Amino acid sequence: MTTSTLEATVDPELVQTWIAELGDEPAATVPLLQAIQQEYGYLPRTAMDLIVKNTKISGRQIFGVATFYAQFRMKPVGRHLIKVCHGTACHVQGADRLNTALRFSLNMHDEEQDTAPNGSYTISDVACVGCCSQAPLLVIGDAVFGNLSGAFAQRALRKHARQNEEVLAKPEKQAVK
Amino acid sequence: MNAAALEIIVGEGTCGIAAGSQEVFDTFKSEAPEASVRTVSCAGMCHQEVLVEINGPKGYYKYGKVTKKEVPKILEHIQKDGEQLAADFVLVAPETPETEDNGYITKQTRIALRNVGQLDPTKIEEYEARDGYKVVRKIAAGMTPEEVISEVKDAVIRGRGGAGFPTHIKWGFAAAQDSETKYLICNGDEGDPGAFMDRSLLEGDPHNVIEGMIIAAYAIGATHGYAYIRAEYPLAVKNFGLAIEAAKAKNLLGENILGSGFDFDIKIKEGAGAFVCGEETALMASIEGERGMPNRRPPFPAVKGLFGKPTIINNVETLSNLPWIVNNGGKAFSAYGTDDSKGTKVFALAGSIKRGGLVEVPMGTTVGEVIYDIGGGSSSGRPIKGAQLGGPSGGCIPASKFDTPIEYAALQKTGAIIGSGGMIVFDDKTCMVDLAKFFLDFTQIESCGKCTFCRIGTLRMKELLVKISEGEAKIEDLDILADLSEKIIDNSLCALGGTAPNPVVTTLRYFRDEYEAHITEHRCPAGKCKALISHVVIQADCTGCTLCEKACPTDAITGEPKVAHSYQINMDKCINCSMCVEVCKPDCILVE
Repeated sequence: MTTSTLEATVDPELVQTWIAELGDEPAATVPLLQAIQQEYGYLPRTAMDLIVKNTKISGRQIFGVATFYAQFRMKPVGRHLIKVCHGTACHVQGADRLNTALRFSLNMHDEEQDTAPNGSYTISDVACVGCCSQAPLLVIGDAVFGNLSGAFAQRALRKHARQNEEVLAKPEKQAVK
Repeated sequence: MNAAALEIIVGEGTCGIAAGSQEVFDTFKSEAPEASVRTVSCAGMCHQEVLVEINGPKGYYKYGKVTKKEVPKILEHIQKDGEQLAADFVLVAPETPETEDNGYITKQTRIALRNVGQLDPTKIEEYEARDGYKVVRKIAAGMTPEEVISEVKDAVIRGRGGAGFPTHIKWGFAAAQDSETKYLICNGDEGDPGAFMDRSLLEGDPHNVIEGMIIAAYAIGATHGYAYIRAEYPLAVKNFGLAIEAAKAKNLLGENILGSGFDFDIKIKEGAGAFVCGEETALMASIEGERGMPNRRPPFPAVKGLFGKPTIINNVETLSNLPWIVNNGGKAFSAYGTDDSKGTKVFALAGSIKRGGLVEVPMGTTVGEVIYDIGGGSSSGRPIKGAQLGGPSGGCIPASKFDTPIEYAALQKTGAIIGSGGMIVFDDKTCMVDLAKFFLDFTQIESCGKCTFCRIGTLRMKELLVKISEGEAKIEDLDILADLSEKIIDNSLCALGGTAPNPVVTTLRYFRDEYEAHITEHRCPAGKCKALISHVVIQADCTGCTLCEKACPTDAITGEPKVAHSYQINMDKCINCSMCVEVCKPDCILVE
């Protein structure tokens, strides 16, 4: 499968606006990276290069920070991001099953793969969302779905796909990890 | 019907939204267009979301677990005179006696949470109407920093973030520093999986946290504040940002607050997902734009902190108590609690519990009272095996220790901690080896890598736990685990490494038999560890309903549709995901 089509084209002017707004001091590193990721869903190399070129932030620092924090992603993501909560309560209530169920629905059979072959959804495990009484739960885009089982997670995904005109391929029954 | 007299309040915290509050809100709007429909923050009664309160012509009603289907029934119910609606979602109605679920709230003592779920967090007037910003007005009227510190000293409040250091002593170090610039940081990097009181306080009562920050800043002489909030809490970031703007517009923040001559502003810093940033020095490194790695102390932040200036970092819950403490007097706060620990503490009750949510109780309440009296015991009907307190830094205690009072010293003796207040309850279907593995996996990933024992030691522990969960370990491995635990605790700079082995240490202490069953009998007693279990259909009970076949991701289940007793599982294809167990109505799939 290829994700190259998901690579973002970086708008240098947009990067300049963020620098003007958030500052060019090292303390602005995290907010600048957050702005980039908010726009593109991940951190395109070209955007980080532009930051290094136009601020007091060094390449060492920006790369160090980008790889340190769990929030930042270096690879492109699908059109929608599914965050599966893996906090303690969700773990105890079976969060793993949500992953299995969703991976099945999205035809993701390779363990390393986290984006559906058609580029629709990316599954990402996150630490606690802080909604433990609704465990296990997941977040698609901004929508939170709680008290799930594997089947309910698939239903939530189908609902979201319908609303966002995404096509879910008919799942092939294979071993998914 | 005269819906104009109705005031309908829908709970819309993150939990409410997860349960579908938006739909319920919209349905009330369209079904009762004349009524006043508004939202409040999360009331901490998360198990009953979506929660709806109604002030009707005949009194006060409260409904739980409302979906849009119940809306017409509810609107009908409040119009009928004295008629009781025989439905379990009616929690409070004028004519019905107090239900057990309402006791969930009435059995608590809410100080930090006093406004949560009571007001609309986006309206500063509602906070002010509940004694809000009264302390700021007292400060403007001449209350001195020493008087503020003295009240907090009388309250004997200890930091609620986990370490439990007395707040007034911490302040004292920074107050004594002679520096034009000092910082006050609100630590809202609630990284502990299983704790969500900070989220609820930030999104549900942000002005209370802001007032707490103003009080702390005034006491130590800080002029700049940062609220470091987890990026995973978008609603908290949004509501807190709105609250800062509203407070500024009323000169409760900013320059020369209410003419007092005291300047203080607050900026929000969104975290980027690193558990270690809950540690003070790592948090400051993160604000400075660095990797969030802890530094050696001393110098303590109170002397040389953010950007080299004296800095105090207080937890959200600590700050949320301050307005109440200064308004009611420190002694009123310390009247709650025990000799060892004063005041109240908020717990995030979750897991296999009937009534989960946020619970604030006086210190000294026993763990069992929280779990059984307030939480209502097990949600699954299966026996409760124990509880995990304090997140990845904390420990697991068995149900036999539930008579332990919640206070710093007594809990520490059991191996658990109060920590930030996460309380995850589990029944006999939770495997303790799996739980310990879960926590070690978390701390291993979250270790910043600075100290060797934490970086490599947690990985080695995790590998051993994986071996145990796969039935591949030897009994001597338990000694290696214990030895590694001791060394990691002794040789780590910060509390992450210093507490990371606790889940293993405590489960080994109380649930050693489960470890031994994995190792010697190759058996997972709770039926959780995938390598040691298998799924079997009890054919006598099978109805042939096909649900399991549809749910199975690997085509491992086959049978004749609609033919009872016909289904079976092909072990070669089964990946032990248990999705069939979830859907099976007659409960006829056995995990062993």
